[in-house]
Amino acid sequence: MSVIDLSALSARQVRDSIALGEFTAREAAEAAYARIEALDGDVHAFLQLTPELAFAAADRVDMARAAGNELPPLAGVPAGIKDNMNLIGTRTTCGSRMLENYESVYDCTAVRRLLDVGALPIGKCNMDEFAFGSSTENSAYGPTHNPWDLERVPGGSSGGSAACVAAGMTSISLGSDTGGSIRQPGALTGTVALKPTYGRVSRYGVVAFGSSLDQIGPFGTSVDDVALALEAISGADTMDATSSSEPVGSYTDGLDQGARGLRVGIVRDMLELEGCGAEIRASVDLAAETFAALGAEVGEVDLPAARHGLAAYYIIGPAEASSNLARFDGIRYGHRAADPADVLDLYMRSRAEGFGPETIRRIMLGTYALSAGYYDAYYGQAQKARTRIIEDFRAAFERFDVLLTPTTPEVAFRFGEKSDPYTMYLNDVYTIPVNLAGNCAVSVPSGLCSTSGMPIGLQIIGDYFAEAILLRAAAAFEEATGFDPIPPLVGSLNS
Amino acid sequence: MAKDRLTEVLIRYEAVIGLEIHTEITAVNTKMFCGCPVAFGGEPNTRVCPVCLGMPGALPVPNEAAIEWTVIAGLATECDIALWSQFHRKQYFYPDMPKDYQISQYDLPFCSGGFVDIEVDGDGVAERADLGGALPFVGPEAVPEDGGYRARIGITRIHLEEDTGKMVHVGGSEGRIAGATHSLVDFNRAGTPLMELVSEPDIRTPEEARRFAQKLRSIWLALGVSDCSMEEGSMRVDANVSVRLRGATELGTKSEVKNMNSFKSLHDAIAYEIVRQADLLDAGGRVEQETRHWDAGAKRTSGLRSKEEAHDYRYFPEPDMVPFSFELAWIDALAEKLPELPDARRDRYIAEFGLPKHDAAALAAEHALACYFEEAVALTGADRARPVANWMLGDLAAHLNAAGIEIVASRVTAAMLAELVGLIEDGTISGKQAKEVFAEAASTGDAPGAIVEARGMKQVSDTSAIEAVVRSVIDAHPDEAASYRGGKVGLAGFFVGQVMREMRGQGNPAVVNEVVRRLLE
Repeated sequence: MSVIDLSALSARQVRDSIALGEFTAREAAEAAYARIEALDGDVHAFLQLTPELAFAAADRVDMARAAGNELPPLAGVPAGIKDNMNLIGTRTTCGSRMLENYESVYDCTAVRRLLDVGALPIGKCNMDEFAFGSSTENSAYGPTHNPWDLERVPGGSSGGSAACVAAGMTSISLGSDTGGSIRQPGALTGTVALKPTYGRVSRYGVVAFGSSLDQIGPFGTSVDDVALALEAISGADTMDATSSSEPVGSYTDGLDQGARGLRVGIVRDMLELEGCGAEIRASVDLAAETFAALGAEVGEVDLPAARHGLAAYYIIGPAEASSNLARFDGIRYGHRAADPADVLDLYMRSRAEGFGPETIRRIMLGTYALSAGYYDAYYGQAQKARTRIIEDFRAAFERFDVLLTPTTPEVAFRFGEKSDPYTMYLNDVYTIPVNLAGNCAVSVPSGLCSTSGMPIGLQIIGDYFAEAILLRAAAAFEEATGFDPIPPLVGSLNS
Repeated sequence: MAKDRLTEVLIRYEAVIGLEIHTEITAVNTKMFCGCPVAFGGEPNTRVCPVCLGMPGALPVPNEAAIEWTVIAGLATECDIALWSQFHRKQYFYPDMPKDYQISQYDLPFCSGGFVDIEVDGDGVAERADLGGALPFVGPEAVPEDGGYRARIGITRIHLEEDTGKMVHVGGSEGRIAGATHSLVDFNRAGTPLMELVSEPDIRTPEEARRFAQKLRSIWLALGVSDCSMEEGSMRVDANVSVRLRGATELGTKSEVKNMNSFKSLHDAIAYEIVRQADLLDAGGRVEQETRHWDAGAKRTSGLRSKEEAHDYRYFPEPDMVPFSFELAWIDALAEKLPELPDARRDRYIAEFGLPKHDAAALAAEHALACYFEEAVALTGADRARPVANWMLGDLAAHLNAAGIEIVASRVTAAMLAELVGLIEDGTISGKQAKEVFAEAASTGDAPGAIVEARGMKQVSDTSAIEAVVRSVIDAHPDEAASYRGGKVGLAGFFVGQVMREMRGQGNPAVVNEVVRRLLE
């Protein structure tokens, strides 16, 4: 067992320790793999480990230091990468049998940018198949377990990315968020989890689910680490026509400015949604009090159209997904059925065999919603609802700098507990409107459930490209609560 | 099929024809949504990347130049240019389509509501049975001077999309899918920018369809948007054809005819289809709505084997790109940069150079011909434009046709043709000599002046030199001279021939003629 305890160090501390020569990048990578060796048999955060890539990257960092070069911001920081992001030298399975043997032929821009500032690619993280799910139970390769309670889900779809950070296997990780797939597992595992503004981070190389909704974002154990990672991966990309040329500022510089003067709005009508646990509801009011105590101007706001978010999302998301997943047809790559009778048989059996039930459900939903005669009633209506939600947020951000909601209506649930899809979908009721509107939002740990001991997440929502203010608010809250959640499993390992 | 059969059918039936013309924008360097080069042929799957192969996670980035070319094409065909436009996804599964959807346009094409005027003359006029001898000025507009007529064909829209890959079926006959054991896909073409023009159903005869397609090709070539090669598939024309009894107001059921890889095929396929449909109706049958394949060898169309399904393409706005908003100033700037189009060019040739209408139209229709012509005329001067045109449409055209080459590949350059015309017009060589010089220039690429020099071909126009030769010939043939003077004036030709032989063909024929007659009398 390595002497380095990654769960006790922030990404910034790992990088600075390496820069100071306290340990090497190679030792940081070794620590990550040692922790994985100890815990991942139970947690199953990773689908594939990539020690060759990680140690090569570590050696480059160590050589750079030996040569006296200044180290980049994430030098030697172990990172997990969700398995829907391409990286040459890895398989990119998306948690699906369809892509079981698919080897990336190019690099995802966000991953490339993270590695370009010295991060170590430890491995590819488990996920719900093609990011369809909120528990990782839809992974074709078995679920990830929540490091806080192995009987419970870590959330999803970026459950592996959340769990590897929560368990101290890596300092940071990348996930993707279409309807809450970063923030919801962040809340369920007690990590800091950011969905940037749509367009802030290039989508090039992340296997598309809902093209108008998807965003890549980081997990970390502190707001500062998440800000560091965001700085690395943000910015315009000539390979993504929806990436924004909005300048990338420093997301770390202003983090210590506190919450004084920030206008903080509690989204009152969303708090009162049926299904939101009393303790969760209370945690948001408590957070508002914390902000007030920090000198923020706290008020209340309603987002009346947000209640239609879930319904609109389950039209728009599957519609785009049904189109995006058409390319998995068995012709050029991926699973191909044996001995097809003709091309139609090849298509139908390859897809029936390669896709899991939730993926097939989403494709069918989306195909139906886009069909002639139904388009206006479904897709058209959903887009109208989306416009209303955008308008609601716009109005709210005229009054407030950030908005507060729970990240999830409840804490991590047990495996198999949500057997019908609709109940599962409800877990994203607070996160989905943000994707529909395109805003940025972060989930920050706000406490532990008094009965289950599981983490609770506070969702802070920011205006378009206002990540700096969003993260400043999150950092102020983080500091005020002094809450540094470490799962018992990890605690026992360290003691 | 006999032409009179079509004419006979068209007396009773009216054909309603609309064309869908796909043109690859070959003027651009790169594909529609990625950086791969646009070119024809090559080793299969060598001009591909993650984007045009539809690899997981790859995203399209629109090629601005291709959009600009589409707008230019729209401006040249009198279309309205959209100020707000976007791409849609057209969804269907086919192995030549990497993403199993095609990025295309749906309700917001870049260009809509345009038109092109065509002129029909010669044999094609007879297909308009309804016009009879009296060409009306309303609707198709008569062009009385040559017995043809002019018609305006509406353009519904021009939109931009990406081309598909190409399938090669192996194991069957002639590369067809029937009987094939497996299929190969080449994605080199996939993602090439493709303009789709949809015409209004304003076309009434196969000849009008041909003229319309030719006119568009001529405009595209003048713009430089595409090489418009029907053989290589950079211009592909599909025809929607239906017929109805003359006087009927309801449209008949249409079939869509594909696979015409020449203008002649386009004409013949539509003609076949009109007669086929009329025969069906005459026999009490009905026309099926279907896609039919033109077989140029068998000269017939056949229904595609696959069961025709009503496709639901499930169009929806392409979420990987934001919509486009165009400034009027940008559109106006493109309009101002439009080059001279074929009709305007033809009219200028008539006005400026006095060319006959037919010659002017022939030169103006083909951009490369027009460029050649204007380059030559710039050297000879406008007063010699007619002989330049005559040479181009005569000997040069015959030579290119025989050699099977395009004018850009001609060894006789515009400068060389200008030089040749100059030698004739200056009287340096005769027309007969010029044909020899042209033939040699075409085979060797040598300059006409150098050929004339090397062969000592210069025409002799000097009257005193010719008089000397004529005198010696008359002296050598006293009997013939006497007969001429006795009234057999036809013998003048004999003397001219003798003189030309003596002069090894270099005598100026006009001068020789004059001297022979003067000295004999």
